[in-house]
Amino acid sequence: MTISSTRDVREIIREEQSMRRRILALVQEQSLTIPEIAEALGCPTSEVTYWVMGMRKYGHLVEEREVTDEGYYRYRAVE
Amino acid sequence: MSELQYDALVVGSGISGMESALKLGDMGYKVLVVEKAPSVGGKMILLSKVFPTLDCASCISTPKMGATIHHPNLTVLTYSEVKGIRPVNGRYEVTVKRKARYVDEAACTGCRQCEMNCKVAVPDEYNADLVSRRAAYIAFPQAVPKKAVIERAGTSPCTFSCPAGIKAHGYVALIRAGEYEKAFQLVCEATPLVGSLGRACYAPCESECTRGRLEGPLSIRRLKRFVADLHYSRPRVAPEIPPSNGKKVAVIGSGPAGLTAAWHLARKGYEVKIFEAAPVAGGMLRLALPPYRLPGEVVDQDVANVTDLGVTIATNTKVEDLEALKREGYDAVLLAIGTHLGTKLRVPGEDLEGVMRASEFLRAAKLGEPLPVEGKRVVVIGGGNVAMDAARTALRLGAASVQAVSLEALYEMPAHPWEVAEAKAEGVAFKHSCGVSRFVGDGRVEKVELLHCVSVFDEQGRFNPKYSKNAGSLACDLVVVAAGMRPDAGEFGLPINPSGTLQVDPHSLQTAVPWVFAAGDVVTGPSMITTAAGQGRRAAYMIDRFLQGLDFDTPDYESDLPMVDKDVVLARQATYRHLPARSASEEVIKLKPGEFYPEEETLTEEQALYCASRCLDCGVCSECHECVKVCPADCIHLEMKQPEDLKVEVGTVILATGYTLFPADNKPQYGYGKFKNVITGMQMDRLLAPTRPYNNVLRPGDGKVPENIAFVLCTGSRDQTLGSPLCSRICCMYSIKHNQLIMGALPLADVTVYYMDIRAANKGYNEFFEQAKAMGANFVKGRVASIKEKENGDLILRYEDIESGEIRETEHDLVVLAVGVRPNLEVSELFLFCDLQLDNYSFVGEADEDRDPGATNLPGVFVAGTASGARDIPDSILHAGAAVAQAAAYLEKLRAGGNGAGMNGAGAYDASTSGTAGAVGAEHLASVSAGEVE
Repeated sequence: MTISSTRDVREIIREEQSMRRRILALVQEQSLTIPEIAEALGCPTSEVTYWVMGMRKYGHLVEEREVTDEGYYRYRAVE
Repeated sequence: MSELQYDALVVGSGISGMESALKLGDMGYKVLVVEKAPSVGGKMILLSKVFPTLDCASCISTPKMGATIHHPNLTVLTYSEVKGIRPVNGRYEVTVKRKARYVDEAACTGCRQCEMNCKVAVPDEYNADLVSRRAAYIAFPQAVPKKAVIERAGTSPCTFSCPAGIKAHGYVALIRAGEYEKAFQLVCEATPLVGSLGRACYAPCESECTRGRLEGPLSIRRLKRFVADLHYSRPRVAPEIPPSNGKKVAVIGSGPAGLTAAWHLARKGYEVKIFEAAPVAGGMLRLALPPYRLPGEVVDQDVANVTDLGVTIATNTKVEDLEALKREGYDAVLLAIGTHLGTKLRVPGEDLEGVMRASEFLRAAKLGEPLPVEGKRVVVIGGGNVAMDAARTALRLGAASVQAVSLEALYEMPAHPWEVAEAKAEGVAFKHSCGVSRFVGDGRVEKVELLHCVSVFDEQGRFNPKYSKNAGSLACDLVVVAAGMRPDAGEFGLPINPSGTLQVDPHSLQTAVPWVFAAGDVVTGPSMITTAAGQGRRAAYMIDRFLQGLDFDTPDYESDLPMVDKDVVLARQATYRHLPARSASEEVIKLKPGEFYPEEETLTEEQALYCASRCLDCGVCSECHECVKVCPADCIHLEMKQPEDLKVEVGTVILATGYTLFPADNKPQYGYGKFKNVITGMQMDRLLAPTRPYNNVLRPGDGKVPENIAFVLCTGSRDQTLGSPLCSRICCMYSIKHNQLIMGALPLADVTVYYMDIRAANKGYNEFFEQAKAMGANFVKGRVASIKEKENGDLILRYEDIESGEIRETEHDLVVLAVGVRPNLEVSELFLFCDLQLDNYSFVGEADEDRDPGATNLPGVFVAGTASGARDIPDSILHAGAAVAQAAAYLEKLRAGGNGAGMNGAGAYDASTSGTAGAVGAEHLASVSAGEVE
């Protein structure tokens, strides 16, 4: 699992729009943690955090109540 | 520029600024508050809670924010900047730049629909860059005023360079967001020729694309083709036909200008009929552009966009009598007949059989008429794009050889370089710097005799080729002359230019006959499809105004902002990921001569997304217009002009410009910016705030709930190596606040604070510190030397334990750097013709901090809060009170020395009759103005 990215934050955040559909496709049927989404996308988890949190802020994703044993929230698409 | 007068100017609306303004307002003074941000509140409103009471920062701030905005004696200009303060006759003249919000503030309800539908994501500075915001945004949930702002840095170069007025950045942003049909419809806002432009546009947008300075421009044209092909692959949906306005317009010519004009007029309810002399609609699109560049069926689809709106097209109908149209009931006529006559070379033998004009040749090829090309030797005369089209078409029709002859050297050719390169790649041979002396043959052309061309243009830049010696001859069976096109506009009896183009008013496109307008190549001469479409759009707009009885004084027609500076765009990022101009999966398919199918494939969805995601959002707002469409209050106006600068006169100034935070990446040994789980104190405040960017306190590196959090105090303060020798006064206490809040939010988390000493001098602070320790926070006296990152994102802190003197390493999963306070240096740039004195640490200097708090070196100028040094919130409020008292006393002295005008008679002050302090101030200001004081 890659955590950090050396890319400029502005560049990562700009990609939220193009990543949205891919992330929504992943969490349509099941809720996933950020590392699980990152694994599926092949992207660093820090970048996925920006995208997931941006999508959450704008109402595309919502977190499950419970935290996994590893300490992660799971996120799913908002119906 | 407006002239207004106030008693006081307060610069900044953080807690000190609000406190200052409210107190002065309560005293009856008229106060102007200028705030850079879209909301008042400063940094305090962004905090989670305040120490030591742990009161909610919002609960304390928002009443003051509301009071500031609504106070009857306060005028608050948010999203505005003070550009200059200069002393004039004992008072201060202030210039305020108001930035356009592009939102009607009175109508905006703060519903955030614009933000929710915006397609541009940028870092959210109000969440310390932990999450995105949108180009259309409300700064934060408690913003006052809660009004949207559209962030526009200028017009994006792609959009700015499009002659048709297509919002290129907008449709790229929509494609990036997967909104393909909306992207198609956005192009249609400018022209219905989406498919044609997607294939055959010369794409000036790409030439200007800022990404061109990196790996190469976006394939903007191909993105347009992608949405066009997708749209046209679906069953056509009949559009809603606008209700008729009872007026009729005749459009003569069905090329890009005519079709675009007809489209816009039909959408305004006009009954539009297009008259086309050719057997098919489309003009040059249908008759000149070879099918490998623009298949006829694509033009047909574009034309259908127009006819679907009820526009009728009469083909094989040549109009010669405009008056007859008038008699038939047309209220206006648009001439969009293009340039379909070839220019003659005027050399011997030009009338021989086998010498054709390029327009005739391409038209015959496009209509499938027989041409004597197969197995023949073809010579094409010309160096422009039409010549390239003719040469490549001849190859496709089976010519044995094609030789292109141009007056220009290769590097001078007017054809686009890629057209020349592709022609060469397909087998066209070139003979440069040659002109034709004559065509030779016995009834039918057999050879072309050439002269060497030494120069094409004369010293005045006019086309005037000069020849030297014989350059040999070329045997041939067919010659295609592509020496320029010209309109056939003389038949209408309207004034024409020497070049043959129609004379029109360049703004309104109106001809000498008021009800006759002209657009496209017949006005401009041969140009691009986008230029002609842009002309058609303009003509429709002007015809509509003419028929409504309105004048043509329309500065709003093209209301684009100036093009954004590309250097500024590129400077927004420190690094760029290398993204090649073409995705790895793209292949350029080269077809063999004889094949007329398009060479390039439509982008796949994956390729289109890759391409669109390379966009840099140069102008920030993409002008996709989604916000405009969804706004229920209809309050977004992208055409809004920048408000004029405001010039005001004030008696006194209070500087409440606050502080900046130490940029943590200036201490690289801590890895901020590189290690994602190293954050700043302000970021932790945001994570703990009720309006936080995440759903809990989480690690930015992977969204994990942290279990072992470290705080590193004195990051960027008390550090001579960084030029920050001062204690920041607030870092100890805000970190202790974080400790307590974290232990509440994450009861299982361990908290460790690395400190040199804890400074808890104010009332209740030491108790607050003791309380944190009692709750379980671990305090380690030691300065952290460096931080390293483990593969799982955890962090290893290396520090000297001051108690034991040992070097130790400990592991944490989140590190918070308690960054210090730095001066806001912008304040020193506010003053013109006088120098605001700063202290040794670059905070605003107080002449005598003990006896005269708040007073600066400039009479009538006072400082409040952290602009003069690090302070906590209670001290900032207290200091603001001191500044207010000083300012009020100063105003009263001004008044006492004035001509007896009322308390708020700001304009009444006369330096020559002022009282003691006012007189001193006035003399000082006068001398400063005269340059006598350093």
